[in-house]
Amino acid sequence: MPSGLHLAAVDTDSVFGKAFVRKAVRVERFFLSTWLLGQIALFATLWIYSRRGARFARESAAGPIGTGMLLGMLGLGIVWLVQLPFGLLDVWWARRHDLTKVGYLDWAFGHWLELGFTFVSICVALLVVMFLARRLGESWWIPGAVAFVAIGATFAFVQPYLLSETTPLKDRALQRSGEKFQREQGVSGIPISVEDVSGTTSQANAYAVGFGASRKVVLWSTMIDGSFSDAEVRVVLAHEIGHHSSHHIPKGIAWFALFALPGAWVLMRATRRRGGMGEAAAVPLALLVVAVIQLALAPAQAWISRRMESEADWKALQTTHDPAAARGLFVGFAGTSLGDPDPPVWAHVLLDSHPTLAQRVAMAEAWRRRSVPRRG
Amino acid sequence: MEDETAPLPIRIVVTDDLERSRVTVFFRLLLAIPHLIVVTLYGIAAAAVSIILWLAIVIEGKAPESLQSFVASYLRYSVQVSAYLNLAAQPYPSFGGGDGYPVDLEIVPSPRQSRGRAAFRLVLAIPVLLVAAALGGGSSFGNASWFASQRTDTEWTSVGWGGGGIVVAAAFLSWFASLARGRTPRGLRDLIAYGIAYTAQAVGYLLLVTDRYPTSDPSRVLPYAALPAHPVRLELTDGLERSRLTVFFRLLLAIPHLIWLSLWGVLMLLAVLVAWFAALVTGRVPLGLHRFIAAWVRYSVHVGAFLFIIGGPFPGFVGADGSYPVSVAIDPPQQQRRAVTFFRIWLAIPAVILGSATTGVIWLVGLLGWWAALFTGRMPEGLRNLGAAGLRYSAQANAYVFLLTERYPYAAPAVRDRPHDEQLELELEPPTAGFAGVEPA
Repeated sequence: MPSGLHLAAVDTDSVFGKAFVRKAVRVERFFLSTWLLGQIALFATLWIYSRRGARFARESAAGPIGTGMLLGMLGLGIVWLVQLPFGLLDVWWARRHDLTKVGYLDWAFGHWLELGFTFVSICVALLVVMFLARRLGESWWIPGAVAFVAIGATFAFVQPYLLSETTPLKDRALQRSGEKFQREQGVSGIPISVEDVSGTTSQANAYAVGFGASRKVVLWSTMIDGSFSDAEVRVVLAHEIGHHSSHHIPKGIAWFALFALPGAWVLMRATRRRGGMGEAAAVPLALLVVAVIQLALAPAQAWISRRMESEADWKALQTTHDPAAARGLFVGFAGTSLGDPDPPVWAHVLLDSHPTLAQRVAMAEAWRRRSVPRRG
Repeated sequence: MEDETAPLPIRIVVTDDLERSRVTVFFRLLLAIPHLIVVTLYGIAAAAVSIILWLAIVIEGKAPESLQSFVASYLRYSVQVSAYLNLAAQPYPSFGGGDGYPVDLEIVPSPRQSRGRAAFRLVLAIPVLLVAAALGGGSSFGNASWFASQRTDTEWTSVGWGGGGIVVAAAFLSWFASLARGRTPRGLRDLIAYGIAYTAQAVGYLLLVTDRYPTSDPSRVLPYAALPAHPVRLELTDGLERSRLTVFFRLLLAIPHLIWLSLWGVLMLLAVLVAWFAALVTGRVPLGLHRFIAAWVRYSVHVGAFLFIIGGPFPGFVGADGSYPVSVAIDPPQQQRRAVTFFRIWLAIPAVILGSATTGVIWLVGLLGWWAALFTGRMPEGLRNLGAAGLRYSAQANAYVFLLTERYPYAAPAVRDRPHDEQLELELEPPTAGFAGVEPA
């Protein structure tokens, strides 16, 4: 993406339609409200748990590390319970606006496996941290951060192989376009798959996963069900390939490493008064500290993510040379997700991993303006 | 609050001497057909009478004694037929039931019953009917197992069937043993008697003979059943209080343990292979391997106890001896006969059959215990003890399969060992002696 690229202001009412913008703002406002309330409930819960959670240690016959795992899992379980009503409200709102087809019970209880995976993840994390803390004392945070980066990198690498519900893209023309874009962006051999989400949502999405030999691009089935033109889908393909050609996933791991070290140090310092991370009693407090760190770093993480998405958008424009399709795509995204094209600044700074839809339309316009004189 | 120590209003009396005639054993199912027809007709009549009983109790709070006696006599006859069919008794029962049968019921009906509890009897009875279905002791109760299984969906049916075979599985094994030896093994007989006794309680409760909620506690249902000396013994020191939070998330909390148990299990199986060769050569499993395998068996009990709410606390990950309140003590390695070691996998088949039936019951204990503990913060003692007995059997079966001992697992659903001298008496008991442990009526 060229430095100093100026994005002109976009009149959202004229691009997306006045009525739509009003509706999108209303829809988005509800989601932001439940998010805010959910965050308040989350921190209140974790604060109480950090003070009282250690008493659950009496429910354990395991040693310190096993007890720490129990306290960690219980903390997650309580958080899940507390967040449940807010999630259900979101589902209600999304169903009301035809954004999802998922049922309430299915949403609440249909994902036990994922919750189980989260439980196992926190056990592994606590096993690493508590083992190192018991062995190395307060110096655990250096190898601990390294271990987490290694685990994160490993997961990022193997994730494409864990996507069992994807099938290869069958559309020959799109497949050929994908191969062409890869050549133009200087990469090759990235498989393109489709994930069937038709039973759960009407929103459209795509993503790039893996790095090195495991790179993969996945399109949601809602992306190629006729809601978008072939030209628009090609923009999406070029965008996702752009993530790979720009090495965004390894860069993301590098950013994670940069945050992990100070994060682990803060965790070590904060849990010192509970005996340090080697003690099970420190785990409830550690959960609160991690949540605070995550919230504090959210703006930086969102900013990094937005930069990467902007770069991928620009690459997509450079590859497809089709700003009209890009513009149509972003307007279409707004329609399928009822996303506010120009959300409140605080929400954008804190939460948005992508540029706003208005900014993305503006980028397409900026690319068109730049390319016209050159061609002329 | 009911007095949990009071005698059960429907209790089983066993005076069977374990001796069996091979000929009648061979044709047992065919011989039982006339009784099954009669008991089915009797059951239809008893069900019809129980509707009148229900109306009488709901309206007046009191049951007509003559009608209750009719249903009670049906229960006794059913138990006798069931005991005969499932090889828990030898003599051919008299039609309609008679006194002095070696497996019989003593029933103290409750004419006065709570109207509220009677009104919702069918709903209140669902959990006990599920347990009865899993135990499968009601093959002649017109048929409680069938009833419970059919009322539920496919999943439940499979759970019920998986464990539903526990009495059937025991009878099946007992059939072969009785044919071979002319005598039914005590453990299997007591297991069948337990299933029959529990089902009798459940049906008696359903048909309004009593309003006492059935207990599944083996030490109450079958108070005379004792565990003989065994190198693998249950250690049960856990209380009944449960944290609702850990109960609610029990399955998820157990996931790390289940993963670790599986990974460790792979290594343990390799160790068993090495131990098998070592035991064939030296006649004994090397101490290091024995400890390694024993720790896995202990750990599997800890994890099973935690997962199925039989134990309260979160277990450790190493299966340390004495580290969990529901555990097994495992003796050091002993000399083992090479032939028994060589054919271990074949010899273990009956134990594996019974073990898989037991697993179905343990799952049901976990499911019912989950609901009970979630609402009351306490695991019902009867369910806990039934689950503990199941875990004890599974541990003994695992210990046998994995070469920790050549002593066969003991099938009777007893929980606690008798004091050492009493175990010795059981050991020394002559094989043809009648069972003297029956409590007087």
